[in-house]
Amino acid sequence: MAATVTAVNATLLGGVLGPVALTLVAVVLPAAVAGILPRLLRVGLVVALPLAISVLVVNLFFFPSGASVLFRIGPVTATAEGLAYAIETLVRLVAITGALVLFYLTTPIGSLVVDLERRGVSARVAFVVSASVRTVPAVIERAGQIADAQRARGLDTEGSLWRRVRGLVPLVGPVLLGSIGEVEERAMALEARGFSRPGRRSLLWAPADSDAERIARWLMVLSVPLLVVAGLTGWLA
Amino acid sequence: MIEVAVEELVHTYPGGVRALDGVTLRVEAGESVALVGQNGSGKSTLVRHLNGLLRPTSGQVLVGGADASGRRVAELAAQVGLVFQEPDRQIFAGSVRGEVEFGPRNVGLRGEALEAAVRAALEAVGLAGAESTNPYDLGASRRKLLAVASVLAMGTPVLVLDEPTTGQDRVGVARIRQVVADARAAGRTVIAVSHDLRFVADVFERVVVLRAGRVVLDAAPERAFAAENWETLRGTGLEPPMAAVIASRLGLETVATEDALVAALAARAA
Amino acid sequence: MLRLEAVSYRYAGAQAPSVVKVSLVLGPGEVVGLVGANEAGKTTTCLVAAGLAPRAMGGDLSGQVTVGGRRLADLPSGEVAAVVGIAFASAQLSGICSTVYEEVAFGPMNLGLPRNEVMARTVRALEAVAIGDLAARDPAHLSGGQRQLVVLAGLLAMEPEHLVLDEPTAHLDPVGTGLVGTAITRLAAGGASILIAEHKTDLLAAICGRVVALDHGRVVLEGAAESMLADPKLERLGVDPPTSVRLRRLAVAAGVDPGRLEVAT
Repeated sequence: MAATVTAVNATLLGGVLGPVALTLVAVVLPAAVAGILPRLLRVGLVVALPLAISVLVVNLFFFPSGASVLFRIGPVTATAEGLAYAIETLVRLVAITGALVLFYLTTPIGSLVVDLERRGVSARVAFVVSASVRTVPAVIERAGQIADAQRARGLDTEGSLWRRVRGLVPLVGPVLLGSIGEVEERAMALEARGFSRPGRRSLLWAPADSDAERIARWLMVLSVPLLVVAGLTGWLA
Repeated sequence: MIEVAVEELVHTYPGGVRALDGVTLRVEAGESVALVGQNGSGKSTLVRHLNGLLRPTSGQVLVGGADASGRRVAELAAQVGLVFQEPDRQIFAGSVRGEVEFGPRNVGLRGEALEAAVRAALEAVGLAGAESTNPYDLGASRRKLLAVASVLAMGTPVLVLDEPTTGQDRVGVARIRQVVADARAAGRTVIAVSHDLRFVADVFERVVVLRAGRVVLDAAPERAFAAENWETLRGTGLEPPMAAVIASRLGLETVATEDALVAALAARAA
Repeated sequence: MLRLEAVSYRYAGAQAPSVVKVSLVLGPGEVVGLVGANEAGKTTTCLVAAGLAPRAMGGDLSGQVTVGGRRLADLPSGEVAAVVGIAFASAQLSGICSTVYEEVAFGPMNLGLPRNEVMARTVRALEAVAIGDLAARDPAHLSGGQRQLVVLAGLLAMEPEHLVLDEPTAHLDPVGTGLVGTAITRLAAGGASILIAEHKTDLLAAICGRVVALDHGRVVLEGAAESMLADPKLERLGVDPPTSVRLRRLAVAAGVDPGRLEVAT
């Protein structure tokens, strides 16, 4: 919720100062409190950098109404207006990325899924969410085990690049087949554990929800229409 | 033919689990050794050091007298063939033959030598007529035999089998026994991890018992299963084979196998 | 009462049926063993008895499977699991539980039982197979044997009236095997009926009242466990006889009085 609100607000706030302040308050501060600021920065950088670079390049050199020239490189011209626009966009990008990464890093998937189910999302949808998140690490682990088995039969994974690429062939098959086969077996195992039974499942626990959190949530939701109104009435120009 | 050894081997997994706590063990060229112990005693962890899949946290691994630490897995695989517990983790070819060819090809066999190795391996596990069968059309236990064949064909001087008889029926177990017997006859060093003490007693000349990452007993089956060691065995969740128990109750000298028990009884009656 | 009546089943895409005219009756409190060579039809029989074949996997079924007089095929999806539980040899987990505790509680949760009941059953099941110390571990990082015990506990927690176990001790050491045997005996004492397919005839000798032998998809032998497991035909069917039977035969073959062995066991 916080992530969505931050993202939306970032878009609504004009200028540069607004989004920067928002980022500091809604992203950097909580991250620092949670002790994950370095991790946040690392992941955020990986996620946002490619996009940031393209935003910068495109706007700096190709901004349509750019007039005040900063410098030239060959056929392309960098303009001050372009730079300004690029920076505005970048700070929004940072705010949005930061918010999303913060969400990803601080929400244990288990809590998310249980909460979803508690609020009425069907068990099957909840399962799909859970399973999808757990699938990637599971497949990676399986691929590792398969690689081990093939290396034990002499497959060279440490030689030249060409050898290593060729070495992928005996890995792909078992990984794919194994994953597909496992899906089938898993479906039967779930069936055998009563997963397809109609009616609600009982849930063992629910993530704690304090009053403070609920108030904070409402404030955040309200902030969005407030900003829209403010923007429309020219307050934030 | 080569020997393998580990010295003061310690292995701690990333999660902090100390699976091996200072194991020193030497297996001579041509010896046949069974590693036994409860689930989680470190048996599988230990054998994975022999071909470099796992590297020691501390301690040394010697294969053929040379330190294994600088050598790649693919290189060690030519000397130490390891058959995994889960055949489905390695099977990738569309045919039995393709699967069995993979290993020997990787270690450099070609032409007539390759053919001969593949044929012999398939014979040994009873898959001789099934060259073009898709491995997934074989049942799970025959796929396991296929995995054994694919390592056998590599002709490695050391053969390591991880739980080879699990899930096998009578015929399958007989084949595994024959595979080990043939390997021994050819002078290969054979190491197996197993829960099946009857299989162990019948087929191996040395039993090493592991518990919580340490060696607690290392002897020939007749001595390992003697009454004086039962407490040690039970402490690791193992029961001595029935034959040994009966021999003790009848006041006979310790035997490890059922054949030996009956022979001892016959001798006494005579 | 779980009953298979002249059941034949052919997997989707297979040329020939994997089991042919198999009839089997499982009464309350009974533990019935299923033996035979690999690919003789043990797993198929288990899948049919648990209602997974053909419902979850296609294929053709003839004959019928009934539970307490009702046909399994007529039961609504999800209801079957409440009545017949099955554990596969491959020890497949749910895939979405991050602790063993949750994994074992998964079944009861699906049954919609009150929270206290779910928790009580989970604890009982963990204790039945002595894996209480694994409760907080991630099931994906357990050894094959530990996973097998977790899956079994998950099944025990559902307290089904009928239980079908396909090689439940495949990856277990003797201690684990013993635990499973004790848990099964206790369940049967509580009135559940259990079908167990296994190679370990020593285990079957200890816990089964009756044993059924399959060969190429057909029932070829059945009867009281003790006499069945001593039947000389079993070896030809690819089944290893129990230790006591083996020893007796060895003794006789060596001209030694088997009675002397019996005294010591």
